[in-house]
Order: sequence, then C-alpha cells, then structure tokens
Amino acid sequence: MCPRLPRTACLLRLTALCILLSQTAAYFGLTGREPLVFLPAPLSNESPSGKAHLKQCEQLTLTRRQKRLCRREPGLAETLRESVRLSLLECRYQFRNERWNCSLDGRGSLLKRGFKETAFLLAVSSAALTHALAKACSSGRMERCTCDDSPDLQHREAWQWGICGDNLKYSTKFLKNFLGQKRVSKDLRAQIDSHNINVGVRAVKSGLKTTCKCHGVSGSCAVRTCWKQLSPFHDTGRLLKFRYDSAVRMLSLTNAATGEAELAGSRRHSHSPRPTDFVYLEDSPSFCRPSRYSPGTAGRPCAKDTSCQNLCCGRGYNTALRHTTLSCHCQVRWCCHVECQTCLREEEVYTCKKH
Amino acid sequence: MAGAIIENMSTKKLVIVGVILLLFQVFSFLVGGLIAPSPTTAVHYLATKCVDVRKHHQKSKWFMPWGPNQCEKIRDFDEATVKMIEANDIVFAVHIPLPNKEMSPWFQFMLVILQFDIAFKLVNQIEEGAVATIDVGLAYRDNTVSDWIEMAHSIEQRKLSCNFTTIKSPENEGRYYECDLLPFMEVGSVAHKYYLLNIRLPVNERKRVNVGIGEIKDIRLVGIHQNGGFTKVWFAMKTFLTPSILIIMVWYWRRITLMTRPPVLLEKVIFALGISMTFINIPVEWFSVGFNWTWMLLFGDIRQGIFYAMLLSFWIIFCGEHLMDQTERNRFAVYWKQVGPIVFGSFCLFIFDMCERGVQLKNPFYSIWASDVGTELAMAFIIVAGICACLYFLFLCFMVFQVFRNISGKRTSLPAMSKARRLHYEGLIFRFKFLMLVTLACAAMTVIFFIISQVNEGHWHWGDYTVQVNSAFFTGIYGMWNLYVFAIMFLYAPSHKRYGDEQSNGDLGVNSGEDIQLTTTITHVDGPTEIYKMTGKEAQE
Repeated sequence: MCPRLPRTACLLRLTALCILLSQTAAYFGLTGREPLVFLPAPLSNESPSGKAHLKQCEQLTLTRRQKRLCRREPGLAETLRESVRLSLLECRYQFRNERWNCSLDGRGSLLKRGFKETAFLLAVSSAALTHALAKACSSGRMERCTCDDSPDLQHREAWQWGICGDNLKYSTKFLKNFLGQKRVSKDLRAQIDSHNINVGVRAVKSGLKTTCKCHGVSGSCAVRTCWKQLSPFHDTGRLLKFRYDSAVRMLSLTNAATGEAELAGSRRHSHSPRPTDFVYLEDSPSFCRPSRYSPGTAGRPCAKDTSCQNLCCGRGYNTALRHTTLSCHCQVRWCCHVECQTCLREEEVYTCKKH
Repeated sequence: MAGAIIENMSTKKLVIVGVILLLFQVFSFLVGGLIAPSPTTAVHYLATKCVDVRKHHQKSKWFMPWGPNQCEKIRDFDEATVKMIEANDIVFAVHIPLPNKEMSPWFQFMLVILQFDIAFKLVNQIEEGAVATIDVGLAYRDNTVSDWIEMAHSIEQRKLSCNFTTIKSPENEGRYYECDLLPFMEVGSVAHKYYLLNIRLPVNERKRVNVGIGEIKDIRLVGIHQNGGFTKVWFAMKTFLTPSILIIMVWYWRRITLMTRPPVLLEKVIFALGISMTFINIPVEWFSVGFNWTWMLLFGDIRQGIFYAMLLSFWIIFCGEHLMDQTERNRFAVYWKQVGPIVFGSFCLFIFDMCERGVQLKNPFYSIWASDVGTELAMAFIIVAGICACLYFLFLCFMVFQVFRNISGKRTSLPAMSKARRLHYEGLIFRFKFLMLVTLACAAMTVIFFIISQVNEGHWHWGDYTVQVNSAFFTGIYGMWNLYVFAIMFLYAPSHKRYGDEQSNGDLGVNSGEDIQLTTTITHVDGPTEIYKMTGKEAQE
C-alpha cells in the first residue's frame, strides 16, 4: 500500500486512516481529534518566507486558536508533527509489555473515559510537545522562542542586554496558551485532564539536568555558567510510565459549601492529589478481549517466563518454532552504514491464544 | 614607613572614611545586583543534519541550517540509511545565533561546548578510549545576504568519556550514554553578527578514524557569551574607578616625594599595588567594541594575574616590615624566599594560559585538554602553581604568627620604653592590626560571596526585584578590592601632621632626636598627638 516507506510510517498512516473520533476539548498529540497526520516528507526544505507552513497548518486538525498560532509561527506545524511522532513512539515503547500496548484503535473511546490510560495519553502528549518545542527552539526551527516573554524591552534589545529566558520556560508557557488551559473548567473531567497534562509538563521539567562550565582566569571557576539540559525523551517516558503504575484514583466529591465538584484521592489521602501524580476516575477495562477500547491481546507475541502469563489473560499461548536470520559480527559506523553477516537462529515464538 | 595618616587620624574621621567606603561598597554590589543582567548567557544549539549532495566535497561551500538557501536536511540517521547517504556526506550545521537575533561586540567572547548524544546499541558500542575526529569550519558574515567568509578551519580530536549507567542489555538499547562536556571553541572577540559552524565526522576504516564512537544521534552545542548589559555595567564601573584610583595614586606619590627622605620599600610596594590596580582598571575593553581584538581575553587574564601577584607580594612585605625584630630589611631582595613562589606560580599559570588561550588566537578550536600530553602538561602547570600557592600561604601564616608573637613580646616591655619609642611601636601594632582586620574581612567577603554564587542558581527574587547574585558578586568584589587599594593608599600615606605638630607640641623635637631610626623602617618618628595616643590605646586593647 505504501511502498518505499519504512514499516512504522506505513503502519502509522494506516492507523491514522482508521481513526475518526470526536473530542470536544482542544487537545493535541495523541489526544487530538485526528492526531496522526503523518506526511511522508517530515522535514520541509522550503524557505520559511514561503507559504508552505500555512498549508501544513491546514492539514493538521486544530482548533481555530491553535490554527492562528500555527500560522503565526512558521516552524510550529513541523514541531507539532514531530511531537506526535515522539509521543507515539514513546507510548508504544513504554507499553510494549502491557495488555494495552498503546494501540491507537479504540483511542477515541478511551479518551472519552477517565482511565489511567487516558491520563497517560494526555501526559505523554503534553510532555512530547514541551520537549519538541524546546528542541525546535534550539535547532532554530522556531523563530520566536525565548526573547518573546520579556515585556519591557524589544526582542533585539532583550537579546543584546541578556535577559532572555530559556527554551523550556518558553515552551511550557506556549503549551499553556496552545492548549487553552488558562481558564480551568469546573467540570471534574476537565480538571482531571488538565491535571494530567500538567503532570506531563512537570515530568519534562523534573528531568532537567543542570550542567556548568567554568571559564574564569586560566579556566578557573571564578566565572561559571550553568544551564539546564533536557533529558532524553526516553527518560521522561519512563518517568511517566512509573507515574502510570502509581496513579491515584479520584472520587468525585461535591463540596457542600460551594456546590462544586472537586478532586479528592480515594485510597491514600482525602486531600487533593500531588501535582506529580496521575489521577483517574474509573478502573481500566482488562484490555484482554477486543472491545471498543482496544483490539485485545490475542496474537500478541510475549516472553515465555515473564510477560505471557499476564499478557494472555490466562488463555495460554501458542508456541511456534521459527528460523530467523540475525545480523551478527557487524561492522558499524556511527552513521548509516552497517555491514553484517547473517546468522541463522532457531527460536521459539510465543503468541497469545485467541480463546 | 612611619607616621601614616591612619595613626594620626581621629577615630571620628576614621569612622567617617569607613562609612563612606562602606557606602561605595554597598553601591557596587547594588549596581551588579539590580542594574546588570546575569554575567553570561548559555544558548542551546541543536545541530541540523545536512546532506552534502555534491559528489566532490569542495571546501568553499557552507551549509545553512535554516533560513534562505538552507541545506538539504535529514531528521535522523535511519532516514540516511534508507536514502543510502554515507557518514562522510553528513554535515552538522549550527548557526550562531538563533533566528532573528544577531551577535554583538558587547558579548566580548564566545565559548562553545560540544556534546554528543550517543545511543547505546549492542552491536555499536563506544570502544574503550574512543576518540572523535572532528572536521570543523567556522565562517562569519555581517549581513544576511552576503557570502560566508571562512574564519577558521581545523581537524580536531576529542576524547569521548562516556559511561552507560544501566546494564548493557538488549532492552536498554536506545538509551543514551552520559558523556562529559567537550571543550569545542573559544573566540576572544565577537566582532561579527552571524557565525556558522559546519562540523563533519569523517570515517576512515583503514586509519581507524571515527570508528567505534557509538551511534551518534545528535550533536548539541552550548554557546556561552557575556551579556551585553553586564558588559556595559562593567565598562561603566571600570571607567569610573580608573580616575579614582589614579587620582589617589598621584596624591600618594606626591606625599612621598614631598618628604625629605627617599621612599621606603613598603611605600614603593603600595604604589606598585596601585599601579597594578590601575592596570586592571583602565578600560581598554572599550576598544573591543570597535576593533576585532581577539587577544583581549588573554590580556585580561594577564592583567588579573599581575594584580593578584602584586597583592600577595604586598601582604608578605607588609608583614615583613612590621616584624619588629630589629633586622635590616627594607630591600626587596630580603623577600625573595616568599615572593619567589608567587612569581614562579604566576609564571606557571601564565605559561598554561598562553598554551590554552594563546594558541586559541590562532586556532579557536584548540584545547590543551584534548590531548593526553596536553592534559598532563596542563595538570603539571596547575599542580606546580598550587604547590607555590600552598608554600606562599605557609610563609604568610608563619610571618603573621611571628608578628603576633613579637607584638605580644613588645607589649610586655612597652611600659618600660621611652615615650617616643613606645608610641612608635604602638603605631606599628595598630597599623598592622588594622590592615590585618581589613584584609581578613575582604578575603572573607570574597570567599563567602564566591560560595554563594556557586551554590545559588544565579538570581534571587525579592518582591518585585530580581537580584542577580552572580553579577553582584563580580561588581561587588571588584569594587571591594578597588576600595581596599584605595583605602590602603589613603590611610598608609605618610602623614604631614608633624608639620603642624612641631609648632604645637614642644616635646616632639626632643623625642624625635632621641629615637631617630629605631628600626630601619623608620626614618622619622612622628610626634605624639592626642589622637595618636588614643589610637595607640585602641591598639593595645
């Protein structure tokens, strides 16, 4: 169907076609209405003065306000797509051994509910967008990055005087604006979603590493400059997965005094949850059988001693003997060149049974 | 040196002078903390992966990461593998600064640090002692349309010191190594608006070039430059301080020449201290705004080095001249044992600096730490300088100890002395204790502020104000040592009180005749005044 493309990209396009769902909130990434507009040419080589980015903005499914932002900033459309790619790859990777493997079938139904998985989707999307924005800033793809938020001075003067902020501060601020999070809704679901989005942003922030360099007289530490560095997105993903495993279930309480619904933890504490915890409303379905949330675990490959028991939901697994060719004794360069011998190996493959 | 102003000054006047100096001190902290931005800025750059599509690699072509005429890009190296692009055709391009910005001479210097993002892969791990060979070119231009002009080109080697924190197992493939920062480039002046870096990592299997350096995912650079606002505040401060120190220096030297005797060693050393302070103060950096003087960074280092050496020598000689053990000193040669380590240590650091920043004048990508021999050499210089510093402080501490021992010895015999002799010693003791106190206070301030600026994240929020701690540290400490030199020159200048005292105080002539040349440092004993007695008493307490 799509020759010449790597397998994953092809897969993504297929899944993108499958997805049609309606989501009222103006989210983005894996939580958007039609998130996976994967176009075959991810990096545009057109000059930024052209109208190429306007076309890209139209292709993305965005709210009116997001479209306006997208049109204003030439590099944004590309960054948005990059963030979707990043979040999807990370979600797949983190859930490769779980019953819900971040498959995008049923994503629409998931997003309507308040499961732990919903929380993860929201958080990983916002984290990926924050990460991608900061990265786009440092690679020069975005034009108005750090010096925009200094109010008293013009852009250029702020830069020369030296009061521009850092990329991450800009990207979190931009994200708030982009997702329209300024007004917090009184609706409990909206509160929970916004909380989980913030967990994602916080996960990126908590992964920042401060690095310093001394450059005083003769390289002494009399003058020292420090900066904050993004951690690889894998680390952020791992942190989010850990948060997913220790998520807190919320009870919808109606505050008698104000008549407003507010968040309250059910198990450990009755007060509002910590800002780093995932919160969810309902227990997740088992994801064992095909349902409207997932295609089920039938046919999923698993590891015999570790994951099969859990993954196959007690239905057992099929064992097949397969000859696989492996690349071995490789001669590798740092980029783009791998010279390997092929070794033949016999291995057992386990897949979950259907019934 | 006898009869300094400090002894003849009334306590009230001394307090007034102290308060004025303190006000200036607070002012210098505030200038840095409230007006100036943080001293330096670090800007992240993520290198764009360009593809060199031409078959023949002409050196003249430059690759732009963004903007008009940007290069053909790839997102990651999986894409390159699919497109059959080779490692030698990949150029990492970084434009300094980021879009819509331009560099300015006010940034003073530009320092770039290199970081590799290397992913762990079982079949392609980083070998032990892997060295990355980097083919790098730097170009500049002053407007957005003209051609790039090459500024430097070099093939550099950097040792990769990376470690993988988790187990090297298949599940952990794709996680990144933690690599040390690599020094990359240092330019001593920022005379141009736009800079472009093109980096290649050429592979040569036969020569084992760039083999076994792991799977490189990205190249990140961090560019550090001084903030324009800080530079302006700093220049303003220097421009203000230069005439102040210069005036007090002229005044001081005039005082000395007015005297009938030739200047003693301590007076000369104080004058030399003033000269070295002025040497630092003179704002020659103003020229760096108009001229492309890359040696300014090195020159600044040398100026600072001379001042530090002078200050350390001054302390030693000051202690020596206040030893009060009746030995002949007053000659510089007597102090060779103590001053020797300072000179030698400074010389070592000078050589080290010349090896690093001196060579960088020719090749901005040079780093002495990049090669094994260089690292050993640099370490040797630094260790020798460190040993010299330790030696010096041992000498200094021993001397201070000796002075205090002599002081306590003298104090017991003070009442038995003749009046002039006693007053002379009391004056010596007071002068010494005063300087000791002030010096200790300044040193303590420097150390405390240094520690604060190291542990702090750089700025404090204080209501609506943001206090830039690092800038306050620089301007405050710089102001402090200027005030220190100023105060020493003012307070330790020879007093002219004796001219007036000779008329008012009858017994002076007798005393000065009797005890002339008590020790060799004294060529004239000042008469006792009411104030003198008072300060002398204070010293005793």
